[in-house]
Amino acid sequence: MNVSLNWLSQHLDLKGKTPEELDALLTFAGVEVEGIELRGVPSEKIVVAEIKEAVQHPDADKLKVTQVDAGEGALRQIVCGAKNYKVGDKVPCCLPGADLGGFVIGETKMRGVESKGMLAAASEIGLTDEEDGLMILPEESEVGKPVKELFDHDVLLEVEVTPNRPDLLSHYGMARELATLLEVPLAKLDIPESTSAATAEGIRLEAIDSCPLYTAVRIDGVKVTDSPTWLKQRLEGIGLRPINNIVDITNFVLHELGQPLHAFDAAKVTGDLVIRSAANGETFNALDEASYALESEDCVISDSSGAALALGGVMGGLDSGVTESTTDIILESAYFTPSRIRRTSRRTALSSDSSYRFERGVDPAGVETASNLAIKLILELAGGSVGESMKAGEAPVLTKPVRLDLARLDQLTGSSIAHDEAGEILQRLGLAPNKDGSWCVPSYRADLQRHIDLVEEIVRVKGLDTIPSRLRGTYVPSSSIDKDYDADMRLRDRLAGLGFHECQTIKLISDDQLADALPLKPLRDGDTIRVSLPLSEDHAVLRPSLVPGLIASAERNIRQGAESLRLFELGRFFRNAGGGKATDLEAESLAILISGEVQPGGWDTPERTADLYDLKAIVQALVPNEPVQLVPRDRTGFVLGADVMAAGQNVGSFAMVSPTRQRELDSTSPIYVADLDLAKLRKLSVVARQIDELPQFPGSSRDAAIEAPAELAAAEIDKAIGKIKEPLLVGFHCFDLFRDPRGEKLSSDRKSIAYRLVYRSPERTLKTKEVDLAHQAILKELREKLPISFR
Amino acid sequence: MKDQIQSTQAEALAQIEAISDFRTLEEARVGILGKQGTLTKLSAGMRDVPKEDKAEVGQLLNAARQSITIALEAKKDALQAEADAEALSGIDPTLPSRSVHHGSLHPLTLIRKEATDILRRMGFALADGPEIEDEFHCFDALNTPEDHPARNEKDTFYFNSGKLLRTHTSSVQIRTMESEAPPIRIIAPGSAYRRDEIDATHLSVFNQLEGLYVDADVSLGDLKGTLEYFFHEMFGSETEVRFRPHFFPFTEPSFEIDVKLHAKGQAPKWIEVAGCGMVDPAVFEQVGMSRKDDAYSPDRVTGFAFGMGLDRLAMIRWAIKDIRLLIENDARFLGQFA
Repeated sequence: MNVSLNWLSQHLDLKGKTPEELDALLTFAGVEVEGIELRGVPSEKIVVAEIKEAVQHPDADKLKVTQVDAGEGALRQIVCGAKNYKVGDKVPCCLPGADLGGFVIGETKMRGVESKGMLAAASEIGLTDEEDGLMILPEESEVGKPVKELFDHDVLLEVEVTPNRPDLLSHYGMARELATLLEVPLAKLDIPESTSAATAEGIRLEAIDSCPLYTAVRIDGVKVTDSPTWLKQRLEGIGLRPINNIVDITNFVLHELGQPLHAFDAAKVTGDLVIRSAANGETFNALDEASYALESEDCVISDSSGAALALGGVMGGLDSGVTESTTDIILESAYFTPSRIRRTSRRTALSSDSSYRFERGVDPAGVETASNLAIKLILELAGGSVGESMKAGEAPVLTKPVRLDLARLDQLTGSSIAHDEAGEILQRLGLAPNKDGSWCVPSYRADLQRHIDLVEEIVRVKGLDTIPSRLRGTYVPSSSIDKDYDADMRLRDRLAGLGFHECQTIKLISDDQLADALPLKPLRDGDTIRVSLPLSEDHAVLRPSLVPGLIASAERNIRQGAESLRLFELGRFFRNAGGGKATDLEAESLAILISGEVQPGGWDTPERTADLYDLKAIVQALVPNEPVQLVPRDRTGFVLGADVMAAGQNVGSFAMVSPTRQRELDSTSPIYVADLDLAKLRKLSVVARQIDELPQFPGSSRDAAIEAPAELAAAEIDKAIGKIKEPLLVGFHCFDLFRDPRGEKLSSDRKSIAYRLVYRSPERTLKTKEVDLAHQAILKELREKLPISFR
Repeated sequence: MKDQIQSTQAEALAQIEAISDFRTLEEARVGILGKQGTLTKLSAGMRDVPKEDKAEVGQLLNAARQSITIALEAKKDALQAEADAEALSGIDPTLPSRSVHHGSLHPLTLIRKEATDILRRMGFALADGPEIEDEFHCFDALNTPEDHPARNEKDTFYFNSGKLLRTHTSSVQIRTMESEAPPIRIIAPGSAYRRDEIDATHLSVFNQLEGLYVDADVSLGDLKGTLEYFFHEMFGSETEVRFRPHFFPFTEPSFEIDVKLHAKGQAPKWIEVAGCGMVDPAVFEQVGMSRKDDAYSPDRVTGFAFGMGLDRLAMIRWAIKDIRLLIENDARFLGQFA
């Protein structure tokens, strides 16, 4: 909302208050000031000057060299390009140093001729004028006088009023608030009381839920014409376009008192005004020249003919408004129910200054006051004679006496506000103490319903500054979420330490991206969760896996020319537990993506491209104490799919992006991804409570050079060794692999795979013979269980 | 004999002195002190030395052996030092380093950790709740009227089931109060959703941090003290913090918090960083109905709540002008947090 300081000054004395002071004052009263705009001539250094001489510039056809009297004793030479003046005219002269909103006038040379200032057009000094060229000032203007003093200047505050304070949506309301805060008197409004008692004749109020109070008055014989300058200036001052005196008066009253009014052309109204619910599907042609389909929750003002003249509280009709040819008007002032107006306005996407105020709640007691002010102004500015006042319904009473619980005020404020002072603040806000100790709330403050609402007012006016800060806390134990958070931070730190960038991707993805999902459990139809009204198809589905986001991030970086991709994300995924029929699940996972250079090339280092074992190593690094196994499992859209097994449980999915998809992503290197179950990882990443004793005696190792069919998985050998019950065997690992596709040194369907087995006793140093015996026994057993031989 | 010893010693020392490699040095040692070495052989002549001279000759022999041994050791050390120096001589430390990958935490993680660390130090425990919420926890229980603008298909993501994506982390307040009795002192960082088109200042999915403290006798002073301390830790102890009255449906009184930021080359500016307020009694009443007890009766407890946008804090902290940088995961951006 725009607030004009000139307008406010009609209601209270703001002399000596800078816009900045008012900004601070309002800000701390809970009204956000979003902008301050100075209107009018911006500088004192723009003065009235008389043109004494004007000769052709020697070097420029379009310029003249003028000598002007700016009241400085000597004449001032200024080069000027305008044509609309004559010698003897008085014009605004910007002296050197005049600041025209960031542009400061100086002394300069124009085409070789000195120019000490600038003669200005109206638009250049913050004024409006229909004429092009220099602004010609009235002949009687005093030479040397600042032009600023000849014209109005104003300060416009752009304020944001919170929804609980509709009483501030007018200049009078804002003035009332400022008067409270500044502790200065508020001027009394000069509005006559209604002269005649109102009757319900002429109004049929049917939609009493939407409109509990409707008043109207007929004024005949008005002359619709332009508004006088003062009224135009008021409206223009807050950014409104003047239309005609009647419409301008209704707009003025709205911004003066906060009560929206509407004027009908009486000639367009047949019979009574009927305030009724709209028929479902009824069409309304609004004055914005669009037509709207109404529903029964909407309220329309119609007449005996049944035609809708206005959408109640929202907008007038296209054909029933006041025009140049109007001679008789019916002036409406009413109270519309906020929730009804809000619903109508939202559904029709039709919003106006009226609906904005009605949906927040106008002062029910102000309905007739506003009407009276408008009548007074219409009679003054448009003439005419006032008919009988019509009134149907009653002004709703929205306020009730409220108690202020002083003990609780003390508790909340640390007893920092004296009870007397609290009472004074409430009185300044227009509340009045009742005999029973409760407070009577003015009709425009329907937001004050409870004890706490009064506390808020007191604290707001007093300021939180005055309440002493206190720093203390109750002991509360850490939660399971604390522990999860700590585990997550350890995983994050570890991955960052391993050279991975943490990503944050958007949780709403597209249907197309679902193909990139690598969920912990495969998705069935209906398992994904779709929002009912997505902003765009790009963000329509809650991600069932974090992998699509990482692949999108990878794509972006590939197109950016990144040679190495090491990305991870921790976060929530969403899916239904049973094809859309069971509950929606939210759980957390950790996704990792690796592609491209795993070892960047250097001046003596060859580069190496990431492969499956690099990602496997990273997964292993997250659970160093539990061997990680990949158990192949097909995954749609991926190759080399596998379940990640650790500590006997499935902790996630692992795969390589299919070569087709890789090419779509413009990637020259294979892309490996894993999506890991965070709940399980958190548990596995916790260091075991009890440590293993360090070995007291040295161990011995023996190698086993195994020749096996090429397709025998290493995991089969691991499993076979793992099953052997040899107490001296404490560890083993594969350390070499040889294959010969040409079949020269080894048949191409065979492979040579070497294991190192480590033997140790916790009680003594083993003898060579003991180790040899144990090793031979193991080899024998392996030979029996696996299709292998030893070389 | 004495002359022989002296000349052998002199020869040996001269020989050692001339040596320039480990192998020759070892050969020399064997040639002098070995079983067939010149000095060893000379020692064998002790048998023939007259008894009265034995002591003197013996001393000479010992002295010779000692000096030769010292010379050998000294030479060995010298050769080792030479070799060590040689080994280092070709190294050009100005060549570029080998490459290792520098990983990074996301700026949101960093800012969340910073905020969380401060608040946990102040005794707040973490709490959490679902992102797919119902209207009760997201709106009704938070005293948000049925026709509030936020409760609208245009502003909030709904599902056909009638559930919705939470529009703020404040729903965690309700979830926590339903399951835990007072006193509670929690923070809940998490995602929230609004139906905003994504642009330089808006994301449809963004990150908040919610806080709630409920106990007997929680006052405005507690609210102020806690949040002042928090923002002093966050932005520096000299930072000015101000509380501007505001309106939220679920707190009363409500405030917005500004901090005065001093950016290099700019006039100091008040920047809005959080919203807060005393928990509205209507919220406690809703929780009471949900719990079916009076543990949260407004007569027994008071509390304060606060919420802040983590994306916004990150943008302020690192002068990030376009919020989309936070979700695009461009390695050139992420790498700056390594």
